[in-house]
Amino acid sequence: MTALISFDHATLGYGRRVVLSDISFDIPPGDFLGLVGPNGAGKTTILRAILGSLLPIEGTVVEAPGLRFGYVPQRDSVDYGFPLKVLDVVLMGRYDRIGLMRRPAQADRDLASAALDHVGVGHLADQQLNALSGGQKQRVLIARALVGQPNVLVLDEPTNGMDLVSTTQILGLVRELHERDNLTVLMVSHALNEVANYVNRIALVVEGGFRIGTVAEIMNEETLTQMYGIPVDVDEMHGHRIVVARRTAPEGMPIVKVGGRDA
Amino acid sequence: MLSTVLLFREALYGALVIALACSVLGVYVVLRRIVFVGAAIAQLSSAGIALALFLAGTGVIGSFAGHTTAFALAFALAGAMFFGLGGGQRAGVPPDATIGVSYAVAAAAGILLISKAASGEAHDIFLSGNILGITRGDTLVLLAVTIPVLVVHALFYKEFLFVSFDRETARTLGYRVTFWNLFLYFTLGLVIAFAMQFAGVLLVFDFLVLPAVTGLMLARSMRAIFTVSVASALLAAVIGFSLSVPFDLPSGPAIIAVSGLLVAIAWSVRRMQHRG
Repeated sequence: MTALISFDHATLGYGRRVVLSDISFDIPPGDFLGLVGPNGAGKTTILRAILGSLLPIEGTVVEAPGLRFGYVPQRDSVDYGFPLKVLDVVLMGRYDRIGLMRRPAQADRDLASAALDHVGVGHLADQQLNALSGGQKQRVLIARALVGQPNVLVLDEPTNGMDLVSTTQILGLVRELHERDNLTVLMVSHALNEVANYVNRIALVVEGGFRIGTVAEIMNEETLTQMYGIPVDVDEMHGHRIVVARRTAPEGMPIVKVGGRDA
Repeated sequence: MLSTVLLFREALYGALVIALACSVLGVYVVLRRIVFVGAAIAQLSSAGIALALFLAGTGVIGSFAGHTTAFALAFALAGAMFFGLGGGQRAGVPPDATIGVSYAVAAAAGILLISKAASGEAHDIFLSGNILGITRGDTLVLLAVTIPVLVVHALFYKEFLFVSFDRETARTLGYRVTFWNLFLYFTLGLVIAFAMQFAGVLLVFDFLVLPAVTGLMLARSMRAIFTVSVASALLAAVIGFSLSVPFDLPSGPAIIAVSGLLVAIAWSVRRMQHRG
């Protein structure tokens, strides 16, 4: 199966500063990949390379011809001061298809309404975006990403700042879109515990280190302890994997001090 | 009173054109939270005029009136491009500090240059402007700038809106965000450079900010904000101008006072709506 996106020994960075070196992986059609790691580890760098706004310093990042992304940005990067109706926001996902100097047609409006229905917020079409809850806003931004009929749905920290219920609903929705529409999904997040229970594969980025594999290959004590550099436990509860930092290090492993206390 | 106002109708027409252009662009200025960029560009433009007058006084350039326009335009556009590219952010200077530095230095430079210019116009002309001095020819020049700018904004509304509202997603969909940002700032610099020569820094700043704020408080859609912004700017210009002439008040501050009153009314209406 031809990959939609292919990293081949890619070294990524800004100017002379290398953030990640020699990474190779593919994103095949139908994949649901979680790009996970702490803030500042290099997730955004990989994301920018995928979206084409950052060229590799060495190696190659190749995308399938005609590849189209549906992008859901971090909620904070959208300016909610603009008095826009939900339907008008979703229509933005078709602006590039509509073209310069042309207004959205009825067909574009119908597609935008259908996208809102698809993510369960069709009834909010005439509401002001800034009057919605965090979870509703995120659904609207997902609808905007879908209305452009993308090959890959890319979500950047989709649950940042959300409560438990909204987080579960949004991640459940993304999983549903992946399964129902066979949509390729790339989800960027710093929250390993959240992402691990929804995605098929995980790309873990920690302090310049990069590892990619199935959830089982990544979500185990050996891999995570090696990647994070601190001892961790991976427990399972009701079929969910949960990672916790161990308070007591196994024999031979130094205890990492965090904020003056044992990690 | 009406006959007195009609004596200065050419000036009123000019003020209305300036109000129209600035109140449309002002919607972006307010929503993008760059109100002081507008003030700084206006001040840079005034420094350009001051430099032209100073150089004309020293004989380096002729006293041709077009020189002041050219200098005002060059300084305003240079400032617009500078701020459009992010100001001094790459050097680690916060954006608001860059705007403050530009404003203060441009204001001081303008005053210093004017104080040594042979043509010796009072420096406060740049602050309060000289609306009453607008002629039919000036209004035609203002229209020649305003109409293309408004046409551009009508044609590329969705592009300007998208890069202002969510630049990351716009970039992902293939929009050249830097280009569209600079284009928006370019139109802003163009309007400010021409409006500034007649209306002065304060009135240009007023037209860029207060009508859009009135619109933001009363309207619930982009179209309605533009409509209310333009309507309140034109209303303030007509009322302020009409009061200033018979009562021998400076026109610019009179228009600004009416703009302020309209903002206060809009604020009251908004509060009543929230309580209701």
